[in-house]
Amino acid sequence: MSEEVVIQLKDVHKSYYLGNGEEVQVLKGVDVEIKKGEFVALMGESGGGKTTLLNILGCLHPLSSGTYLLEGENIGDVRDDGTLAFIRNKKMGFVFQQFNLLSRLSALKNVALPSLYAGVDKETRNTKAKELLKLLSMEERTEHKPTELSGGQQQRVAIARALMNDPEIILADEPTGALDSKNGLEIMEIFKNFKNQQKTVVMVTHTAEVAKYADRIIYMRDGKILDTHYQLKSEY
Amino acid sequence: MFLEILKMAGEALWSNKIRSFLSVLGIIIGVSTVIVVVGIGTGAKKQIEEQYKNLSATTIMVMKQMGRDAVSSSKLEAEDATVISQNIEHIKSTTVFISGNSTVAYGQESGSVNTFGIYDTFFDIGNLELEAGRLLTQEDVSNKSKVIVIGSGALTTLFGEEAETTQAVGQFITVSNKKMEIVGILKENGGSVMGRMSYDDAVFVPYTTAESMLGNQANMMIVVLMDDVDNLQTGMDDITTILRIQHKLKASQADDFRIFDPGSIVGAAQSSADTMSLLLVSIATIVLIVSGVGIMNVMFVTVAERTKEIGIAKAIGAQKQDILTQFLAESVILSIGGGMVGALLGQIIIPILNTFEGWYVVPSVSGVILSFTFSAIVGLFFGFYPALKASKLDPVDALRSE
Repeated sequence: MSEEVVIQLKDVHKSYYLGNGEEVQVLKGVDVEIKKGEFVALMGESGGGKTTLLNILGCLHPLSSGTYLLEGENIGDVRDDGTLAFIRNKKMGFVFQQFNLLSRLSALKNVALPSLYAGVDKETRNTKAKELLKLLSMEERTEHKPTELSGGQQQRVAIARALMNDPEIILADEPTGALDSKNGLEIMEIFKNFKNQQKTVVMVTHTAEVAKYADRIIYMRDGKILDTHYQLKSEY
Repeated sequence: MFLEILKMAGEALWSNKIRSFLSVLGIIIGVSTVIVVVGIGTGAKKQIEEQYKNLSATTIMVMKQMGRDAVSSSKLEAEDATVISQNIEHIKSTTVFISGNSTVAYGQESGSVNTFGIYDTFFDIGNLELEAGRLLTQEDVSNKSKVIVIGSGALTTLFGEEAETTQAVGQFITVSNKKMEIVGILKENGGSVMGRMSYDDAVFVPYTTAESMLGNQANMMIVVLMDDVDNLQTGMDDITTILRIQHKLKASQADDFRIFDPGSIVGAAQSSADTMSLLLVSIATIVLIVSGVGIMNVMFVTVAERTKEIGIAKAIGAQKQDILTQFLAESVILSIGGGMVGALLGQIIIPILNTFEGWYVVPSVSGVILSFTFSAIVGLFFGFYPALKASKLDPVDALRSE
């Protein structure tokens, strides 16, 4: 882990407006600093704002107010679709609880998809995707459709997809939530290895068993950060 | 990259074959209808052109007043033609003929055939050319000769398909119980009198001979060719004036003859064919528009169904434009594909329709181009809104949907 700060949020607020015009504050002034190569778990109560924070980090949500510095550059007030899509495409890799693979496409094509949107040619794309699948011990399953794969295998494909464009940052929303514990632990081993590649990981989780793989835990409650170095209870 | 998105769109459609097919059914029907309908319109116009092929635009015809407006004294005489040609300016030529049906027989073959009683000038005005033998002459008329010139169709009727034109000349046939010598055979012409009496299927005898043969049932007609279209109306007015004087009609009396220029009939027939085509094409256009609405509907369902997919695509870096392109590509592929199938179907239907009696449908390139362009536009137009909606979806909401 270097001392270089990759992600810095300053006083970030996020509100939604309900149909009747009522404002719901989800984030109420969040300050976060995450260093390059750091593996951070986001924990907290349901409705505490973990997923919203992750979506903001992933440029899926605009902020209501505050600053978002990504590698020192303020992107908090960027609204241009092309720029945001570019950041999501090149800088971030998403891993979801429900894998979110496209059921029509083969594992290989799913993995290669981010590069398609980046405009990379087909041959380069497929070579890279095959490499990644091999790295994740999925080389035998490249032509399988997601429905023909187990949950653990699907999540490996999803991870390969997240790595496709060599992003600096991996954002994961309960990546083991839909897996049994054996598969879940295997996936966490993969996450642990990201550190060797100097990738920054932010992972939302409910499970202490999963969270203990992280370098530190940020604990949230009611739209605020309670603790930036939360300690798990000793039995884990 | 555009091609790859196109390919993905195609794969998405293929994965939902039945729905894709049903959604383009309207386009298929619409496009094939347009093609057939344009073919019918073209056919109708062509048919009219064929019928009036040899008709000069400067032709004026005068005939007996018939039907409701007929006057008891209504009559037209060969003399009227002489009066017209002698008194009216700008006339190129004039002829008078009578026509009617007579029974023509050769050996075992016999049938009712259109018979024209003509002067020698008739052939010129009708653009009739000789295939073998000779035409009728002034002498034939004055001598009341029992000679006959027959059209190419009539030749086949009497002598069979294999008939040698040269052999027929000199043969005798019976026309209304009178023996007559065939002196000439005409080339195939395709023309007719006012689109009804085909020259090819008719026989021609001297005017004087026909008078006694056809008797009272004969229709007389005077044909006048003016030297220029600009003189047509003056010519018609002058002929009317002179015939009224000749027939001693009082100012209070109506014309006892009918005068018209067949050129205007052709124009009217063509414009009514145009109107019919326009009407049919409008109906087909409505079908296409309705089918476009069908495509829009299906695209909305597709977008709703694939909301999650759109969210995923956005999360991994797809721009609005990419999403827009993909969904637009899907609807355009649908409509163009439907257009292609429809065009093909049209080409299959046209020959089938033509096997039915009285149908004359001409396949046209313009119909294919028209319907193709239209279906592509329909796809773009009706696909745009659903695609735009898809591209504007909020990624988080889209990801959350099931």
